[in-house]
Amino acid sequence: MNGRVIGLVVITLFVVVFSLVLALGGLGWMLPMENVRMIAREYLRIAYNPFDMNYTVMSPEAVTSIVWDFRGLDTLFETVVFYLAIIGSVALARGIKSSPPEKKVEAYGLSLIVKTVTRITIGMIIAIAASIALHGHLTPGGGFQGGATAAIAPLLVLVIFSKYYLENLGVRKNVMLSIRSIGLLGIGLTAFSVLIIGLLSGVNAYVFQNQPKSTAPIGLPYQIGGQLISGTLWFFNIFEMFAVAAGFTIIFLLLSIPERDVLKCIKEEGGEY
Amino acid sequence: MIEVDPITYSYTVLLLSMAVNLGISLYGVFYRPSLIKKIIALTIFSDTANTFAIIIGYIRWRSPEEPVQPPVLTKLNASAEDIARFASNSVDPLPQALVLTAIVIGLAVTLFLVFLTLQIYRLYKTTDVREIARLRG
Repeated sequence: MNGRVIGLVVITLFVVVFSLVLALGGLGWMLPMENVRMIAREYLRIAYNPFDMNYTVMSPEAVTSIVWDFRGLDTLFETVVFYLAIIGSVALARGIKSSPPEKKVEAYGLSLIVKTVTRITIGMIIAIAASIALHGHLTPGGGFQGGATAAIAPLLVLVIFSKYYLENLGVRKNVMLSIRSIGLLGIGLTAFSVLIIGLLSGVNAYVFQNQPKSTAPIGLPYQIGGQLISGTLWFFNIFEMFAVAAGFTIIFLLLSIPERDVLKCIKEEGGEY
Repeated sequence: MIEVDPITYSYTVLLLSMAVNLGISLYGVFYRPSLIKKIIALTIFSDTANTFAIIIGYIRWRSPEEPVQPPVLTKLNASAEDIARFASNSVDPLPQALVLTAIVIGLAVTLFLVFLTLQIYRLYKTTDVREIARLRG
């Protein structure tokens, strides 16, 4: 009971201190602020700037420039956190064997109307996801958003058809694990790509480099045939989309394992509960 | 009598309500015994924190003719003046960049926690942390 009182006091103090900071102008006297911070203004200025080739990313989307170029290492480690969360779920579900379906695969799921509508919408969902990811360097969007959108399609199939239908389509746990690994490998390769090119051609280059700098005069082209791809950003977005979409699909597949299979597995391992 | 800017005033009320929301969700994480309710409170906490980060990056309209714009340069073959105007009229892209990854990572971690809770429920037939703490072996 004592701990509860202390906790409530701490939470109340949190709110009170926050209000005090606000009242003392901790976020500035004028809210919302008149101008963005200096660093944000600098990011906005050099995100797409053909007149300052030494710093620019050549991507009109300032958010994607920050995510995959200015603060690329942060995003790499956030991808690692994502990787660990998925691996944690896979490790929890190890040893659970899925039994074959008891009736015909087509007999599972919701009514014919829902299934037909889902068949139509899934194509649209995948198309939108690809559009979000492929245009991540031009319009709001990117690999994370595109991947999260694409992961909705297998989730819909899981709910409206069945787990077995999805697995017959080829979306199995191990396939998704390999797609995710290819995505992560691609992210790693893209991060090192300019360094590798630099090493091969004997020019100075850095890890996570995108456009040529004055000290490292090498980089990926920012456009191909007049189409902006902003160097590494385009590749990062595509690989991230595969990694995120496959990762979410793995967890959805694991969550949809029938309860009787799990309970059978627990019983075989000698669990008494 | 202190002059009060109505925009700043309403903005402060908004931020304060977010702080209260954070406090309530912390209460949920600390004191609700059910793991599921802890996870729900945790998602409320992270969503509030994300909204807070986004709203910090917003800037004030200078005039009705010069609206605040999202951090995307919409003009093809922009000139130096276009870029300078874009840099001064756009909102802060940094919190948006952090939040976009935070949402996806948060979703992955939430799914992991849900899966963990599901396994705990399958093994021990409870999601009450007081009973889980009492278990041995």
